[in-house]
Amino acid sequence: MEFGIFSIGDVTTDPTNGTTPTEGERIKATVTIAKHAEAAGLDVFATGQHHNPPFVAPANPPVLLANIAAQTERIQLSTATTLITTTDPVRIAEDYSYLQHLADGRVDLTMGRGNTGPVYPWFGKDIRSGIPLAVENYNLLYRLWREKNLDWEGNFRTPLNSFTVTPWPLDGVAPFVWHGSIRSPEIAEQAAYYGDGFFHNNIFWPTSHTARMVNLYRQRYEYYGHGRADQAFVGLGGQVYMHRDSQQAVREFRPYFDNAPVYGHGPSLEDFTAQTPLTVGSPQQVIERYAGFREWAGDYQRQLFLMDHAGLPLKTVLEQIDILGEQVVPELRKEFAANRPADIPEAPTHEWLVARQRAGEAPVPGGAPGTRAHEDRLAAEEEARQKQASSTN
Amino acid sequence: MIEIVAVSTGLSEDSATSRLADRMLRSAEDALARRGEEATTTHINVRHLAKALVDLTVSGFPAPELDEAFAAVKRASAVITVAPVYKAAPAGIHTLFWQLVDDASLAGTPVLLGTTGGTPRHSLAAESTLRPMIAYLKGYALPTSVFAATDDWGSGEQAGLDRRITQAADELAELALALNPNAAGSSSDAAPGGAEDPAPEAAAGSAAVSPEPAADSDAPAAPGVPYAGPARESGRSAITPNGLGERAREERTRDEFDPDSVTPFSVLLGG
Repeated sequence: MEFGIFSIGDVTTDPTNGTTPTEGERIKATVTIAKHAEAAGLDVFATGQHHNPPFVAPANPPVLLANIAAQTERIQLSTATTLITTTDPVRIAEDYSYLQHLADGRVDLTMGRGNTGPVYPWFGKDIRSGIPLAVENYNLLYRLWREKNLDWEGNFRTPLNSFTVTPWPLDGVAPFVWHGSIRSPEIAEQAAYYGDGFFHNNIFWPTSHTARMVNLYRQRYEYYGHGRADQAFVGLGGQVYMHRDSQQAVREFRPYFDNAPVYGHGPSLEDFTAQTPLTVGSPQQVIERYAGFREWAGDYQRQLFLMDHAGLPLKTVLEQIDILGEQVVPELRKEFAANRPADIPEAPTHEWLVARQRAGEAPVPGGAPGTRAHEDRLAAEEEARQKQASSTN
Repeated sequence: MIEIVAVSTGLSEDSATSRLADRMLRSAEDALARRGEEATTTHINVRHLAKALVDLTVSGFPAPELDEAFAAVKRASAVITVAPVYKAAPAGIHTLFWQLVDDASLAGTPVLLGTTGGTPRHSLAAESTLRPMIAYLKGYALPTSVFAATDDWGSGEQAGLDRRITQAADELAELALALNPNAAGSSSDAAPGGAEDPAPEAAAGSAAVSPEPAADSDAPAAPGVPYAGPARESGRSAITPNGLGERAREERTRDEFDPDSVTPFSVLLGG
């Protein structure tokens, strides 16, 4: 089980003192936060991708992640998310391959569509085509990392003739991909089809909803024959603010909550903590709440926390990461390890993916011959053939 | 069984809007009963959802009570919606409710419009604002809407208001039954959906003959009812392919996260 943090890189005025970091300060702080996360014993740092203020998450996450990779030893570098809709899949393939080499394989990605309307036209796309873009672009990306001299033609970019990604992925193995979606069943289905991971950033959502999305992904993962439903790769979001005195935690966090981008000036802190994973209180409260995720999500692989947002000063963010690393994560590791079946995989590492590929056990998109999905597809094709034959007679 | 959901915005404890919505709801129940059909009713007061509606608008945070209300609307076979009119437009939180439900939440659903206001000069608010919203949500806004001004609650005008409510409720009942022929416990032969059903296109444009709704056969003739719609008298309807309401309800209440009914990825990929 991996624990880490994810950042959206918002530049927000601290509501308690009116100061706003410069873009430069915020960017440097992000690197400090990532290094601190490794020092605190966390497993993952993930960055968002943004093209609009008030965010300085990189437009191309490998730029930031390569810088962090050079200053860290162990932490896994990921995204939350890589915009598969508006970023050219060829550039994603090449930039993340390059990063994989620089970071010695400590790289994976989470695909997202992005919900900021204007970003789409800035990159020549249309938000109404969000799902078709995610479907076509990822299919191309998947093939780019696996087929040399690729000939390809689609609806959303110029065709490719005899194209080979440069550099080729480290050890000939593509980085692991999670597919992130909050409410699109198509994306859970996409993750299951390829045997990839599914990440639900549930920080604004009731667990009842998240549980249904995770269940859909797990059932379809099994349907495609990649493993049992409980062996599928699930990641979840989270959000906490801690103090040993839980009332003090609430007092300190409330002004940040009330003025936060996205959810500020809306629901009360009390409603929001009751309905979403946001937990504001003692480390013990956080441990109890998050250990309970297993009850509705099953044994899962990755838990990311949002820590650096809403104008919280760097010093506070680093303290929160310390509490997470020293008091919360060690306890959660114990809780999640207890009674976890031995055949539930951990979150994939590069070494694990290489071993899986060499053993010939990499998932076959849509299901290998012999799986139910494969047989259903053959039957559907046969039916279509017969229909066509009878209509031409 | 027809499920009627009323969505009204009664802003005071004993508001004219809530009172009108209650009467329309009861009248619709009676109109169905006269046709031999039972109804269940749910009355949602938007006032209790005001904060949740604003939270969803500004922060995208879906409060559970709002999800429940939206689900009730999707489940309904008939809807009544009643708003108070301010400055010649329905109160903002009322229109906000309909602006935040999912698209097509009212597909195939007959909708009765009602408004209340201080003076008769507010009487077109339902026509100019609510009717297009209901059409956008694919609902059938009924021809008769009910407007109650202060005058209508006085003794002299009361009878006129009652007549309008009865007429509107009859329209609602007729259309709800035409759209949901299997709603009646007595009818079991006409299956909803399925390849045998006439395609909706076949009914468009001209008055296509629908299969005789079984609900009609044993329903009382509703003597003394001032209005009886075309579906009942002739078994024909220009706008209501038989069972459309049931099929639409099935579609809009479908669990999109059900692993057994999700669109296979090969279909998405094949485009």
